[in-house]
Amino acid sequence: MAKEEKNKFRVQYGEAVGTVAAQSLGEPGTQMILRSFHYAGVESTISTSGLPRIVELVDAKKKPTTPITYIYLDKGIAKSFDKADEMVRKISEVTMNSVVRRVDENFAKGKIRLILSSQEVEAARITTKGVASKISKDFGFETKADGRTIEISVGTRDPKKVRAERVRIMNSIISGIEGAGKVMIRQDEQTKEFYLIASGSDIESIIDIPGVDSTRIITNDVFAVYRLFGVEAARNVIADELAKTLNEQKIGVNRRHLALIADAMTARGNIKGVGRHGLSGEKGSVLARAAYEETVKHLVHAAVYGEIDHMNGVTENVLVGKQVPVGTGTVKLAIKKEDLSKIGKKK
Amino acid sequence: MVKNEATHVYLNGRDIGIVEDPAKFVSEIRNARRTGVISGEVNVAHYGKQHYININSDRGRVRKPYVIIENGKSKLTQEIIEKLKNKEINFNYLFRNGIVEYLDAEEEENALVAFEEKDITPKHTHVEVDIASIFGFTVSTSPYPEHNSIARQAMLANFIKQSQGLYAINFNQRFDSRGYLLFYPQVPIVNTVSYRKANIQKHPSGQNLVVALSTYYGYNMQDAVVLNRASVERGVGRSLFYKTYTDEERRYPGGQRDRLKIPPATAEGYMGEHFYSKLSDDGIIEPEMDVEEGDVLIGKVSPPRFLEESMGPSGIEEKVRDDSTVLKTGETGVVDSVMVTESPGATKLVKIRIRSLRVPENGDKFASRHGQKGVTSLIVPPEDMPFTDSGIIPDLLLNPHSVPSRMTFGHLLEELAGKAGSVKGRMIDGTAFAEDGLDRMDAYGKMLEESGFDKYGEEEMYDGITGMKFKARIFTGVAYYNRLYHMVSNKMQVRSRGKVQILTHQPTEGKARQGALRFGEMERDTLIGYGASLLLKERLLDQSDKTNVLVCKQCGNIGYYDHVKRVNVCPIDKSSDFVEVEMSYAFKVLLDEIKSLHIMPRMKVNE
Repeated sequence: MAKEEKNKFRVQYGEAVGTVAAQSLGEPGTQMILRSFHYAGVESTISTSGLPRIVELVDAKKKPTTPITYIYLDKGIAKSFDKADEMVRKISEVTMNSVVRRVDENFAKGKIRLILSSQEVEAARITTKGVASKISKDFGFETKADGRTIEISVGTRDPKKVRAERVRIMNSIISGIEGAGKVMIRQDEQTKEFYLIASGSDIESIIDIPGVDSTRIITNDVFAVYRLFGVEAARNVIADELAKTLNEQKIGVNRRHLALIADAMTARGNIKGVGRHGLSGEKGSVLARAAYEETVKHLVHAAVYGEIDHMNGVTENVLVGKQVPVGTGTVKLAIKKEDLSKIGKKK
Repeated sequence: MVKNEATHVYLNGRDIGIVEDPAKFVSEIRNARRTGVISGEVNVAHYGKQHYININSDRGRVRKPYVIIENGKSKLTQEIIEKLKNKEINFNYLFRNGIVEYLDAEEEENALVAFEEKDITPKHTHVEVDIASIFGFTVSTSPYPEHNSIARQAMLANFIKQSQGLYAINFNQRFDSRGYLLFYPQVPIVNTVSYRKANIQKHPSGQNLVVALSTYYGYNMQDAVVLNRASVERGVGRSLFYKTYTDEERRYPGGQRDRLKIPPATAEGYMGEHFYSKLSDDGIIEPEMDVEEGDVLIGKVSPPRFLEESMGPSGIEEKVRDDSTVLKTGETGVVDSVMVTESPGATKLVKIRIRSLRVPENGDKFASRHGQKGVTSLIVPPEDMPFTDSGIIPDLLLNPHSVPSRMTFGHLLEELAGKAGSVKGRMIDGTAFAEDGLDRMDAYGKMLEESGFDKYGEEEMYDGITGMKFKARIFTGVAYYNRLYHMVSNKMQVRSRGKVQILTHQPTEGKARQGALRFGEMERDTLIGYGASLLLKERLLDQSDKTNVLVCKQCGNIGYYDHVKRVNVCPIDKSSDFVEVEMSYAFKVLLDEIKSLHIMPRMKVNE
């Protein structure tokens, strides 16, 4: 009995799952608030949320506006704050730009003087000497560290070259991993386990660091996941991120609709957005493509290459006025009653 | 930025020079204006951050008077007020003597205006003449705006403009394209100083109704309004609707022109004799004639659209086309007035004003002066309406749920004041901020108690249908209601089958064209989502632009049936092997348009 009831709710042959999925995501989308209210300290404060995030996912944007990576640590060190803190120092990306308070160039002597900000230096857990030796190592310049001041001899008096070196130095990375962004420590309330949140998505580099649990690392950057783990994983990220974003605003959309959208986006082995440059632009039917944006482009292409429309989709059949191959339109009479009697006679 | 950046001075938008001390410059101009050295119509605005000064003396700026503050004190002293009271001086005296000045929108940005004299601080430059003057015209003519939510007050400002009333005293001589005239307009019992000063009581636009805050068997749910039939029959909301139809005898190049006359039966598009029966000999309808939809008001013949046709088969009689003006669908009325005159282009011009009586009916819109709008849902016989101890039957029943969430306390206060005023037989002043709200309530309550009514405006009431006394006492008062010009009779329309567009063969759109309602893309998607494929086809094809087309089996092109030879013909390969295909006419048009671009679309058809 219960099984029969359950079967009623299963998708049936010919059901327009795509249209229903689109409607199920589209309708709540109209109710979403563009700028939602954030609670202090919650990670949603730093990430894009709401409609802009949905658009970002569905359009398959190459880089998310606010990438976030959740880095879990190996079981052995996960419960220790000190170990986690050490990991932060290893991973957290510190650029010269972020710690330098002031830059002076002395073109006459060919020297650059950096004054570091005490606050930033302490926050990044580095020392002036460490920075100075890093510069010497990376660029091969003679450096002198004194208090919070570093003096660099560039070895040339040409103002153009001095300026070029200044830019190179300022853009260099002092510690951590390029693309990892700022890293913060969080604690799981249930397991009391410490984990890290990075505002970058270079999981390819982060995953190899000793101490990082490579089985649990996850990011909201769909393409980073696609590059490292493949489409199947990327599909899951798309669906999860959609569900998470909708959940934040207490909008209940069935997971299956979101999964279908993610499936459609990744069905060809790569990630395609749903718009004109993605799914809609790659429909098989000329008429269906022409009916949605850039009409002339598709008609001209069809004329030049002699395209054939096989009339298998919904839009093109609506256009010409045929029965749509969906729902009740999918079934056809296999054999007429009169013909059935003919078969009987033959035997 | 340079510390003493030069400030540009613009006179009526033209750059006329630079000043070094803008503050001094501006204050000199203002002093000169106040002392009468330069015209009082000059306004100066100093944009400190952008370093420029705008001096305006041109036309078209809306200006408002303010009392000037000097040395932290209002220049309108008690002494001057006394003089004003004794009529020794008038308002112009204040203006001429630098006590009051007019500011335009730009100069207002430089002023810090105190609401009242007690609010003045050393920083203030002006004080309002009266605090109620912060409102515009429509709001200041309505009572108790300070007791309403701003959202409702904004709606009110729109409703006032939509109300029917005595819109012009010479309505009888005017040929407005649309005019609404209320039969028995009344001066509101509760009005304001601005209302009286603006002389609106000479052409009011509403009526004082007895309003009970009561439900009525669910008929006034969701802002619906229940009316008393006895009140409607006595003239509540009754109005006239005027509409003018115009036509003229146009001249065309080549010496041809229109002629106003009863079209001859030979005219192209002749409708049939009885449609023209109400026209007099000059082809124009007579005044006081009853007209219905489809009746011809002005008979007119025009020359045919294309030149060759004008010759006619014999060449003797000039061929003409019927171009008469017809009363639009769904309209009825009486010809009120006919005017024949000449247009600026020296052609004969005819204007016909149709009048029709509009008794309130279900679907007409009413609104009070507090943004409380409603649509009539039921007109109840008086015997079925609730009534009070003293036998008063309300004109209108307003659902009590429409008050709390909208925060229109002004509506309740107006009802109370209106009731008090009716009982005492006098007008009540409801000017904004004139008195404290509680004081007002007490005053009206006292007036009501003196006449034996409840001081909160509540009444014991009985159900008109059962005769039973209501357990609760019902708040009843007198409020001023406007009948707005949105009336069902001007809006409703039906269609089952009807006109189609020439190009696409799809149904027309809009009420004026007897149109259908569009079954749009999103509606289409709902049927797809449900899987109702055949219903979708019925909506989009069978009930719309279905055509049968012959498709050539060989070349996939559209062919035709030759009625002379009685065969199907393909214009491309002359074959006669065809399949008849059912398709959307719009699609056929698409194929034709693609062909016109020298692209050959072919259809492969299965049997």
